[in-house]
Amino acid sequence: MTAWLVRRVAASIAIVFLVVTLTFILMDVAPGKPMLGPTERLVDPQAEAILNRQFGLDGPLDVRYVSYLRELAHGNLGLSFGLRRPVADALAEAIPNTLLLAGAALLIDFLIGLALGVYQALRVHRIPDVVLGNVTLFLYSVPTFWLGLILLLVFGEWLGWFPVAGMSDPILCPTVSSFYCAVDRLWHLALPALTLGFVGAAGTARFQRAAMLEVAGQDYIRTARAKGASERRVLLRHQLRNALLSFITLFGLAFPFLLTGAVLIETIFAWPGMGRLATDAILRRDFPVVNAAVLLASTMVVAGNLVADVLLAIADPRLRVRSGGGEPA
Amino acid sequence: MTLPAWFALFVAFALAIWVVREARRRTAHHETGRRFFRHPTAGWGIGVLAFFVIVAVVAPLVTSYDPRAQLDIVHLKNQPPSWSYILGTDVYSRDLWSRVAFGARVSLIVGALGMLVAATVGTLVGAVAGYYRHWVDAVLMRGVDVGLALPRIFVLLIAIALFGQLPLTALVLAIGLTSWFGTSRLVRAEVLSVRERDFVAAARAVGAGPGRVIFRHVLPNAAAPIIVSAALGIGNVLLLEAALSFLGIGVASPTPSWGNMIADGAPYLASAPWTTLFPGLAIALVVMALNAVGDALRDALDPRQESGA
Amino acid sequence: MLSAMPLERRLALVLATLVLGSTACQRAGSCTGAYCGTLVIGAVGEPDILLPPSTQEGVSRDIDEQLFLKLADIGLSTNTIGDEDFQPLLAERWEWDGPLTLVFHLDPRARWQDGQPVTASDVAFTFDAYTDSLVASPYRAALRRVASVTARDPQTAVFRFREKYPEMFYDAVYHMRVLPAHLLRGTPRDQWRTAPFGRQPVGDGPYRFVSWKAGQSLELVADSTFFLGRPAIRRLIWRFTPDLMVATTQLVADQADGRDQLVTPDNIGRAAAAPQLTIYPYRGATYGYMGFNLAANGDTTQPHPIFGDRDVRRALTMAVDRASLLKSVFGDYAKVPPGPVSQLWWIWDPEMRQLPYDTTRAKWTLSSHGWRDSDKDGIRDRDGQPLAFHLLVSSVSTIRKTYARLIQEQLRQVGVQVEIDEVDNSVVSERLAAGKFDAVMLAWQTDPTPSSGVPQVWTRGGFGRSNYLRYDNPAFDALVDKATSAATRAQARVAWRGAIETVNADAPAIFLFATDNVAAFHKRVADVRIRPDSWAALVRTWRIPPDRLIDRDRVEP
Repeated sequence: MTAWLVRRVAASIAIVFLVVTLTFILMDVAPGKPMLGPTERLVDPQAEAILNRQFGLDGPLDVRYVSYLRELAHGNLGLSFGLRRPVADALAEAIPNTLLLAGAALLIDFLIGLALGVYQALRVHRIPDVVLGNVTLFLYSVPTFWLGLILLLVFGEWLGWFPVAGMSDPILCPTVSSFYCAVDRLWHLALPALTLGFVGAAGTARFQRAAMLEVAGQDYIRTARAKGASERRVLLRHQLRNALLSFITLFGLAFPFLLTGAVLIETIFAWPGMGRLATDAILRRDFPVVNAAVLLASTMVVAGNLVADVLLAIADPRLRVRSGGGEPA
Repeated sequence: MTLPAWFALFVAFALAIWVVREARRRTAHHETGRRFFRHPTAGWGIGVLAFFVIVAVVAPLVTSYDPRAQLDIVHLKNQPPSWSYILGTDVYSRDLWSRVAFGARVSLIVGALGMLVAATVGTLVGAVAGYYRHWVDAVLMRGVDVGLALPRIFVLLIAIALFGQLPLTALVLAIGLTSWFGTSRLVRAEVLSVRERDFVAAARAVGAGPGRVIFRHVLPNAAAPIIVSAALGIGNVLLLEAALSFLGIGVASPTPSWGNMIADGAPYLASAPWTTLFPGLAIALVVMALNAVGDALRDALDPRQESGA
Repeated sequence: MLSAMPLERRLALVLATLVLGSTACQRAGSCTGAYCGTLVIGAVGEPDILLPPSTQEGVSRDIDEQLFLKLADIGLSTNTIGDEDFQPLLAERWEWDGPLTLVFHLDPRARWQDGQPVTASDVAFTFDAYTDSLVASPYRAALRRVASVTARDPQTAVFRFREKYPEMFYDAVYHMRVLPAHLLRGTPRDQWRTAPFGRQPVGDGPYRFVSWKAGQSLELVADSTFFLGRPAIRRLIWRFTPDLMVATTQLVADQADGRDQLVTPDNIGRAAAAPQLTIYPYRGATYGYMGFNLAANGDTTQPHPIFGDRDVRRALTMAVDRASLLKSVFGDYAKVPPGPVSQLWWIWDPEMRQLPYDTTRAKWTLSSHGWRDSDKDGIRDRDGQPLAFHLLVSSVSTIRKTYARLIQEQLRQVGVQVEIDEVDNSVVSERLAAGKFDAVMLAWQTDPTPSSGVPQVWTRGGFGRSNYLRYDNPAFDALVDKATSAATRAQARVAWRGAIETVNADAPAIFLFATDNVAAFHKRVADVRIRPDSWAALVRTWRIPPDRLIDRDRVEP
């Protein structure tokens, strides 16, 4: 088990390294110069040369790549051209915002998804199941950003129940200084988190419903029923526990989402998170920010996969037996 | 809308309903077919898909205006739905229904072709990895991990930002080449389990080469999950194309695609919500239908899995 | 006792406590009187850096307007000639010491927010920084006719010019905001673009910097000891949103107090319909056009195969119905410009000679120059080459994207095929610099005077800088020279008219719109005065009367 773990960790590091290198090369080949000036007004050629030198943009690709790696080894993520500040500062401000939004969305996703899936399985083929099934089908199929726009229109503009943009009220609550301000934060968080959460919950509910129904037909369940255990007990003890295993896989897949954020939702709701930061940086050819974002994102992905695999191996003894030197399939 | 167009639209509706009925009738005596239609939404899904495909094919017949024509930029801009313009007009005074109908062509083709590319590449990679195992498998699957490690929207943003506006073929390729990773894992798992079976060993004993074994023996048995994931995957490709067009990279105007219609309408969401509503609804309906059909296919083709039928 | 209650009652009690608690813990607002007030401004985009020489971004300028003072500023009339219409700010008076020497006497009351007095050596330092090639300020070119700035004594700054021209005073005061030498001397000049001072500025203006939450908001608070009069509105808060529609929605939903530009007729209509807002139209400083690359795409030594021909350009200009396009995009809130002129400029004159909208003449001209549709595909061609070109548009500007699509359709009707290249700003920048484009949609936000804008964009002197189209007409250049150095306004007017009519006749671009800006502010704000070149310049004179205070005004900062 340990040998397998060590190999996986090594492979994960190699993957991250490869991804970062690829991004570095891609950004270099891309047309479009970094936005060193606002809009289309051109920078004086002399000034441009100075700026290139200051930001380390002159020099051949391999030299720049090596110096980038060297800086990275020292923990220096570089200076952002567009934001005029160290990349680490910009990331440090954006990451908590994305964590908040993605965390809330995932919470809604899992809780509502699990509840719906279980409820649907209990009432399978009856009216609640059919109605909920269609609702989840719809939510699962809409473009998330379109749903966000519609919810913004209806609940933000027409009904005025939720704020239209931003994370907080800058007038009364620039910091979370009171309970009222905490509630204000939640109020601002509601629409984007609900948009993301409902779409995710629809997928989770469908998945959970299918998983629970699959488990329902298996032998040990029938045995338990034959032994006379009540329906509810059978369900809760056996089906739920097995269905929960699948959550670990889902979590592993959702983990990177916590940091990459939902690019389009963040743009629509003016949420200052990682997704928006990275997209703007790509469009502005702000190389340091893009490289840092990709580094972060790919690290999260491989870490998520690793954690999911480890948790699965711990939770399900059958997988451990099957691995024996190989890896859980 | 003109009378001939209304008539053609009703014919399209009727034709879609007829397609569903025919499909039900023709497969009634097949076990798979019966299982497929036992799903409550399967018939509906086939009907919706049929309707949109028919509309896409005969788009000039069911619409009265050229989707690119700016009818009257001063007076007909952002008009709400009316009898002449049944879904309203957009900010460039173009008829929305015409654009939805012609947009179906672009969106459906991008979806189908993109998924085709993804399915082909994914199947090949997964089959080779599963069949040969050992280091071939390790290398290929690490490659898949790399691909999965890059968040998809970033990869596409970067790749498309590289070349500015992509022509349609390049866009389809780009989407396809970043969507195959899941399929390859699926196929690899299937191939791994099938390759141990007797008939494969028999084939190899007889001297069949690996290509033959893969294509004639292994893959047909792995076909079911591939088909299901393809059906579900088209939906994802459609959503991806919409997202890319919304970000400004994707299908270029004036060619209508449902994604860039939402992008055109978004700045006017508050004053002309129909310009964003209808293309989004179209996407939602088609993806819903694809998901419903995919679910039903999964149950129909795979007798091992019971989903409460 | 609590545990004895049934579950539902317990839950209800907890919920009630939470709700009551939340309202009770709200920050109490207790400010009364004439100096309260919070103005929340909805902004699109975000400032890049708040150091005046290093930024040209609109939002940064609006904020810098509150933080840093100029020596003097133009008045509401926006007259830039002479010095009568200028308002003293940092300088309380000035005099001419010979035709090329201007002497400013600084107001002894002016102080930096850390307590240090503002001195003439700050002024000299500022000039040095603005003209330093390492700082690479966009304003450097505007200051080229100022030879030197020295400090005669701590209260007296002396400007020496290279030549005499009508707008000397304007150049001396308008472009530079005086910087604190003692705080910036230590920062190496080539690092000014990323200097931490730019995120935590210390100025001498009516407002002080409080905080900046990246991507969200920025807060300024009034300096009660400001020497020109304490600002009545105590707090200014900018809220940043990524796009115009969201910013307008925020405004209409009363989550912001105002916005300086609503841009589209949709938004203006929404704001006008909102009961709590008053709209304020004012002359806009922007003009936009579709420019033709007169040199070949990618090769500046060759003329463009289509646009190198003056008559073809004139025909294309006549084929576009500028009035209808304007009506569709802006409604009533813009005007068709009589040339490369913004509404802010005093030379604006709708009577100037321009090309008419005449599709018949356009088609005839194209045909007579060999562009005929020989293969009947709807697109004209000549010697096997179709009359087709690519139009470069930045994906950031909704207005220009809309115009591009509308023009594409209008030109298609006379047999010209336009393909739109909608790309992001970084690519536009690159292609403009390299001359790799056929046509481009551009817009300029102008200074109050044509003397800086026109030469930079339309004369030979602008090659390699802002004259991307490579328009080069010696007669035009001569007229512009004459206009910028004319001794009297009347002479200047005649010369400018000649110059604009020349460029109209040469048609290097189709001049499409000159905006009318429409701002909207909460109706409780009184004394709203907007100077067309910089709407935020007079915010320190606005006030919220004590009887109109609402909740957010009463909060202590």
